[in-house]
Amino acid sequence: MQAQPLRMALTIGGIALCVVLMLFLLSVYRGVADGSIEYIRSNKTDLWVLQGGATNILRGSSILSTGHGNLLRDIPGIQSVSPILFLLSTIKQGSQASTVNLTGYDVTTGIGSPPQILDGRHVQDDREIVLDHSFAAKFRFNIGDQVIMKEDTLQVVGISARTNMFVIQYAFVTLRQAQSQIGYPGLVTCYLVKVHDPSTIAAIRERIRDELPGLEVYDHEEFLRNNIREMQSGFLPLLYTIAAIGGIVLTTILSLILSINILERRKDFAVMKTLGSPWRFLRGLIFEQGLQISSAGCIVALVLFFPVVRLIERLAPEVSTKTSLEQISGVVLAVWGISIFSSLLAVRRVRRIYTLEAFS
Amino acid sequence: MNQPENRSEIVRLENVSKVFGVNGHGTTAVQAVTLSLSAGELVLLLGPSGSGKTTLLTLMAGLIEPSEGRVLLFGDDVREYSEEELQRLRARRLGFIFQNFLLIESLSVLENITLVLRFAGKDGAEVRLAARNLLREFNIDRFADRFPAKLSQGEKQRVAIARAMANGGELIIADEPTASLESKRALEIIRLLQSLAKDQNKCVVVASHDLRLVEFADRVFRMRDGAIDEEVRVSGLATRSG
Repeated sequence: MQAQPLRMALTIGGIALCVVLMLFLLSVYRGVADGSIEYIRSNKTDLWVLQGGATNILRGSSILSTGHGNLLRDIPGIQSVSPILFLLSTIKQGSQASTVNLTGYDVTTGIGSPPQILDGRHVQDDREIVLDHSFAAKFRFNIGDQVIMKEDTLQVVGISARTNMFVIQYAFVTLRQAQSQIGYPGLVTCYLVKVHDPSTIAAIRERIRDELPGLEVYDHEEFLRNNIREMQSGFLPLLYTIAAIGGIVLTTILSLILSINILERRKDFAVMKTLGSPWRFLRGLIFEQGLQISSAGCIVALVLFFPVVRLIERLAPEVSTKTSLEQISGVVLAVWGISIFSSLLAVRRVRRIYTLEAFS
Repeated sequence: MNQPENRSEIVRLENVSKVFGVNGHGTTAVQAVTLSLSAGELVLLLGPSGSGKTTLLTLMAGLIEPSEGRVLLFGDDVREYSEEELQRLRARRLGFIFQNFLLIESLSVLENITLVLRFAGKDGAEVRLAARNLLREFNIDRFADRFPAKLSQGEKQRVAIARAMANGGELIIADEPTASLESKRALEIIRLLQSLAKDQNKCVVVASHDLRLVEFADRVFRMRDGAIDEEVRVSGLATRSG
């Protein structure tokens, strides 16, 4: 291999690209997972109340009335009831039009607000809007800009973080503004309920179910799990498919290069067999070479990965990634596993090299 | 394993034939060969290409099994050895010199030697020390860190012989060791092989068509069409060929 630098560079480059792909997929997954779930996680409440049959807010629809909120407030033990309205809405600026997951919340309590404000402030008034940072970057919205939503002109007052769901981003307005968009002032999506005494959560949950049949009531952890499951069911199959393709490509590259090396060094292997090389030594050579190549690929991938991610995020701001040491370790271990598997495939060729070949 | 009946006997072939192919429709490479080789002798298998010399060498080394007859290596039938035992036997008691040397090009001279020592079960610092001593013995220690591609033909052959000697094996198998060498270098190599037999009591078997080797061999077996045509007297053959 060292004698053929071009082939070595291409091999290591190919492996590095596969590793970058795997790392990137995992990072996008973590980014999407966080962006999709963080809103729910950060709005920690005791109970989430939705329309019957709704299990999540990512891919479920729930329509409740403000009357439901009043009935909830009448139940003893409940401290606060905060409405939230989610709807898909189109934002216009000039000739540009793009869709956001518009979130209307009660700004007086602040429950349902963005998990994090990167720049500016939360909305305080009906004519204000907070945009997700990747959405704002993609469409070049800045604090103070005017955006048009249906007939209304709203001013961007804040840029939020952890609100990017990859395919769509959150935008935040007052509940009244969101309701005016939908055209029915009495509608909300769900209620976030806080109780006076945490020990009564289960009992109050049962009481809501009894008194308001047709509603779904979840405690915070259960609702979070529902949404995580929903997010995973939509994203993980794609992730697994692409990761599997990456794994197959990696296995193919490694197996091919190891097999080619064995074939090219066929005479050397025949000589070593004739000289009495133990089988484990020959097998070890292949495994060692596989690990060396794959480790070199991983090192190159790690050098490339962060600049590549920065470039992608700059070119496509909606791509939100999150990388951790655990992810990197996991990918490196997976690559070593693939290297061992590829070596096992290649080792079979050594068995078919005969000592007599050293005498031909 | 049994002890050989004659302690100096290294390898014995009893009516050995080797047919390559299946169902009796193959090619007979070696035909009804009977011979016995002992320690301390340099034996030459002489014959043209395709006469069966190399196949006979590989039969002697236990690399292939005979189709008929018996090959006794160190007193035991090679068929009685397991694959692992044969591998260990080659690693510890046999040395090989190949045509065109067949050094491992990706390893240095020293590594080519240490490789064999490792196959023989040696480990640690003693391996490098033993390899360096061997290279010194063959007067090639200055090439220790060079790669085979940087060596001349003669130097490569000396390294190949050193490698064959590294494990201290009693049987040295050499396939056309002088094929690619000019006269002066060939003579050097022949003398080296002769000294292995005489001074170190090795059994050296050389397959070659090089008549220059004849006068140095203790015995010469002339081969034709897979059979030993005759065990010729060295002087007689030298005269005939000269």
